[in-house]
Amino acid sequence: MAFLEIRNLSKYFGKTVAVKDFSLEIEKGELVSLLGPSGCGKTTTLRVVAGFEVPSEGQVIIDGKDMTFTPPNQRPVGMVFQAYALFPNMTVAGNIGFGLKIAKKSKEEIEQRVREMLELIHMSGFENRYPHQLSGGQQQRVALARALALRPQVLLLDEPLSALDAKIRVALRAEIRSIQQELGITTVYVTHDQEEALSISDRVVVMNNGRIEQVGTPFQIYNFPQTEFVAQFVGTLNAVIAEVMDVKEGVLRFDGQQVYTADKLEGFRSGDRIMIAIRPERLSFANEGRKANILKGTVKNITFLGSIVRIQVKLGENIFFMDTFNNPYLALPRVGDLTEITCSKEAVLVLQRRS
Amino acid sequence: MRRVNLLAWFVFMLGMIYFFLPLFSTFEFSLRMKKGVYSFEAYRVAFQDPGFYYNFGSSLLWAALTILCSILLVVPTAYWVHWRLPKARPIVEFVTLMPFVIPAVVLTFGLIRLYGGPPLILTATPIPLIAGYVVLSLPYMYRSVDAGLRAIDIRTLTEAALSLGAGWGTIITQVILPNIRVAILSGVFLTFAIVMGEYVFASLLGWPAFAYYLEEIGAMRAYTPQALSLVSFGITWSMMMLIQWIGRGTRGAEQVAAAH
Repeated sequence: MAFLEIRNLSKYFGKTVAVKDFSLEIEKGELVSLLGPSGCGKTTTLRVVAGFEVPSEGQVIIDGKDMTFTPPNQRPVGMVFQAYALFPNMTVAGNIGFGLKIAKKSKEEIEQRVREMLELIHMSGFENRYPHQLSGGQQQRVALARALALRPQVLLLDEPLSALDAKIRVALRAEIRSIQQELGITTVYVTHDQEEALSISDRVVVMNNGRIEQVGTPFQIYNFPQTEFVAQFVGTLNAVIAEVMDVKEGVLRFDGQQVYTADKLEGFRSGDRIMIAIRPERLSFANEGRKANILKGTVKNITFLGSIVRIQVKLGENIFFMDTFNNPYLALPRVGDLTEITCSKEAVLVLQRRS
Repeated sequence: MRRVNLLAWFVFMLGMIYFFLPLFSTFEFSLRMKKGVYSFEAYRVAFQDPGFYYNFGSSLLWAALTILCSILLVVPTAYWVHWRLPKARPIVEFVTLMPFVIPAVVLTFGLIRLYGGPPLILTATPIPLIAGYVVLSLPYMYRSVDAGLRAIDIRTLTEAALSLGAGWGTIITQVILPNIRVAILSGVFLTFAIVMGEYVFASLLGWPAFAYYLEEIGAMRAYTPQALSLVSFGITWSMMMLIQWIGRGTRGAEQVAAAH
């Protein structure tokens, strides 16, 4: 049985639907990210699990116990907020020990636990500092320690890295993942940053308009998006409307060019218009090795992105992005050159039917 | 540049004269009780009058009770408005501004009418007086507390405390109050200053008060009221300076939150 179970959760604010029929099972020790754009319902879902919102419909079950209407201060849940939410009037030790003090733990036990937590977040010696004396990253680590000090059964993180700069974000997300795995704590992580979700999660739940679009491992989500939204939201994508030419052979056509797909076209008929997508990194120049699909176009732009070079190729009406690893000996075409790009049948993903 | 500086100084000096000249004149006059020589005789006479201590003490008591009632009324209200009813904020703000619109005399007669007869006769107790003072100080107390609450992220702090197992009592006393301490103190001192100088409520409801006493002896004596006016002014000013000192001397949570 799943450790954290959200059953048919719906939440309405007046006439606005924040979450609709959301069901998810999370195993003990698993880290699941809720990923989606602003207003997709991911934070509302997290707040329902935390007990800050009462669901309009559905249930929240933790370790077999129905917690749907349990007040937030009686749930075995720790939470880390985007805005750190450290108590400004308390020291680091005071903040970490706050929950333990409320739980009426002995002074020795509180001190011992605070020391352990500070070691865990690599901040020993910061006990007597106040929040305003810490950097953003340090404050968020203290907030994490504070949430973990009570040994909650479930850890909830609501966009915990959004307020930090890029470098600290990357370092801290690795630290969060490492601590989560070390403690084996069941974790729900809310983020709108796809890279963050893909890099630290066991599974990712992509949400849109209050509903689940897809649940899967980061690998599945990125490589095999099941809906147009997931494909568009996660990673960069070349999406075009193509016409089905041959269902059996998987032949499609767009901009006067023919492509093959390995995806099944069962249920479609010749002449149907469907959305297909190709990831930029699945494309390469045909002169480096030809694959099943060859597309002809004109180079429109070349952008250096550090380790990656992004080339824009105009194929009739559509512009495709193609990513290639940067190296000093890379022979790049010039803007305006005619070129051929290639990809395998497997790289062509069928997303959605368009009549 | 130099010209601008001179002009600024001139305006500043003009303001200082406008502010301090009446004070200085009052002070100078209060020293003239003995003919032909400056002395603190008026102050000695004022402080020797048992009526001064009785009325001043009464005002202190009213101020303390008003402050207590105001805090108990305003802090939870303002907190709840910030935490759960942000849409009600304009309505609450409007209500707190009513004392600026309704004259104290109207308010007092309203209280007398309401509580002077059955079913609830309270005019024999100081309750209407304190209630009146609470209403009078509402704009200052509410706005101070509201400013303090705006400076910290009430919602997130409350939720953080709840997620750590805290109950409402703990949240209010250990999380909210310490972080709006300076704001509450500011409201407290303003309330104190208002109650100490308030005349209409005490005189119409028939309770002893410092301002009422000041008015009474002002009708009979020349120098002592001037001395007492300055004492009253000194108390008010001390309160203001205390707010400044507390606000500057401690790094309040409001400042911390604002810095983030």
